[in-house]
Amino acid sequence: MKIDPKTFIQDYLLNICIQCGTCTGGCPVKFRSPLNMRRLVRQTYITNDPSPLFKSPELWACTTCSNCSLRCPAGVKNVELIMAIRNLLANQGEVPSTIRDALENTFLQGNPWGRFRDRRADWAKELGVKILGEAASETLLYVGCAPSYDPRVQNVSTALVKIFQKADLDFGILGKKESCCGNEIRRMGEQALFKKLTKDNTNLFKKSGIKRIITISPHCYNTFKNEYPDLTIPVQHYTQVIADLMETGKLKLSKALDLRTTYQDPCFLGKQNLVFDEPRKILTFIPGLEFVEMERSRQRSLCCEGGGGRMWAEGGTEGTRNGEIRVKEAVALGAKVMATACPFCLLTLEDAVKISGLTSEIVIKDISELVAEAIDENPITKFQAPNNHQ
Amino acid sequence: MNIAVCVKRIPKTAEADIFIEKDGSDIKKDHLVFYLNDWDGYAVREAALLKEKHGGEVTVITVGPEEAKEVLTRCLAMGADRALRIEEPPTQDSYLIAKILSRAIKNQAFDLLLLGVQAEDDNCGQVGVSLAQMLGLPHAAIVNHIEIEGDKAKVRRELEGGIEELTELKLPAVLTIQTGINEPKYVSLAALLEAEDKEIKDLGMEELGLTLSESVDTKIDQVFFPPVGKMAEILKGNPEEVVTQLTEIIKKKKG
Repeated sequence: MKIDPKTFIQDYLLNICIQCGTCTGGCPVKFRSPLNMRRLVRQTYITNDPSPLFKSPELWACTTCSNCSLRCPAGVKNVELIMAIRNLLANQGEVPSTIRDALENTFLQGNPWGRFRDRRADWAKELGVKILGEAASETLLYVGCAPSYDPRVQNVSTALVKIFQKADLDFGILGKKESCCGNEIRRMGEQALFKKLTKDNTNLFKKSGIKRIITISPHCYNTFKNEYPDLTIPVQHYTQVIADLMETGKLKLSKALDLRTTYQDPCFLGKQNLVFDEPRKILTFIPGLEFVEMERSRQRSLCCEGGGGRMWAEGGTEGTRNGEIRVKEAVALGAKVMATACPFCLLTLEDAVKISGLTSEIVIKDISELVAEAIDENPITKFQAPNNHQ
Repeated sequence: MNIAVCVKRIPKTAEADIFIEKDGSDIKKDHLVFYLNDWDGYAVREAALLKEKHGGEVTVITVGPEEAKEVLTRCLAMGADRALRIEEPPTQDSYLIAKILSRAIKNQAFDLLLLGVQAEDDNCGQVGVSLAQMLGLPHAAIVNHIEIEGDKAKVRRELEGGIEELTELKLPAVLTIQTGINEPKYVSLAALLEAEDKEIKDLGMEELGLTLSESVDTKIDQVFFPPVGKMAEILKGNPEEVVTQLTEIIKKKKG
């Protein structure tokens, strides 16, 4: 099928590219795949039919971290270009099989892993959490797919429930009525399914009578905040909520965590939505915790490679994972804990710790887990700082 | 080359909680999601690939309730040209389904009939071969490769132990398709919405010279969960201890 490049040039401003290469220079997968953003923009611009270009498998290596478009001095919409190409491929059915399964699963069960919809809120069963519809609340804790189903990330959901309950914050969850936010779905190219999810979710939120939404994942936060056209309910990431609870004295931490800790800025929270300070405020608020900053932090934070559908992609990249590089940077700082505030960062970095054989040096924790730990003497997680002398 | 593909709408049960109806006649299905039977998806994709190569039309047929039209729509989005839904009799078995399909297909000029090897729900694997018998056509089951040469189909059949059988059938023929024969494409929501505008023909049992109360040979007496067997042995300890215990067990069993 021949594709007219004109729409791409107009929609993603390919004609204003000055070929400076800043995009490729900042790309977190440039050493991991043949993806070259500068070249892709140029080639799409000068060709009469970009369809052969769009067959390159490296188009699926992009993590949509958005370094390229955020740093572009001219304003080329690089990430939107990637998503548009993927949309074209998805509509032709030309997506890698694992991405195909993730999309089909979301269509059927409302989550990319294809886990049973009715089991979405099983993690919360014993926690005394309100289910909106059965009980009323003005605050929705939108859990998200990974925190609902992934056993590791469920620990984050449980920690947040404990924190909010401790701070007497009235909130509810949607239970099994909750569906995928669609952030990753849009980035895997399924625009029509994304639109359906935005419509269904917006209607569900409105019907539930909620006044604010708190998300666990920065990915959900990003799409609700920036990509839901009819959603007028304010959205917060949980780090913003906890930072506020601490500043207003509603959440007090009594237990000291004597841990040298650093922080990985998730791309969808940090560079894309500029939430840099709240996670740091929380960490420095924890008694005993010694916060150390990595050299590459905030806007310069290195992507963990979990975004853009990469959680469901197989292969397509080679060499050392960014997660491994990141974990080694943290260990070099003498950090015993690397904290983050994103389910995907948590999973990719934890994998990296295992792959690098650094399990006795460092642990990966979500900020919420550290806060829950510092609340009292009865920790919900069996937390143990790594001990080099084991 | 005109191809008919017979498909089935099945409930997805792999991840679901399963409950049995009070009267023990079936599992409860109202909380389940339904989808195109996995094997049938490969059969439809194979038909679309053969159409690309040899031309012709692909017709998809199902016997099922009104809701079964959603899987036909999916097949239309996958490249089928025409779709037919046949009314579902209240009691049915593989033999009756094959009989219904054979009546619907009998006087039509198809060169090839494709079916999934089996359905994910009952896993009987009987409809395809029964249909071939009823139509008096040659058939091959568990096919994982097809090449059409003139009026012959050269196919590979999957046998046990990684062995394959090469065989040749004169067309028209019936083939039951094994998963993995191709890589099914993603069907986007946009493609599904577009396919919703395509016509799906409805056919009643009477129009096939059958009644809704056709007798069946197989009756389900009772559906029940498999009895719980002996507990598996869970090895305890740190990884080193577990490995030591495991190697001991393997050594012992090896004798």
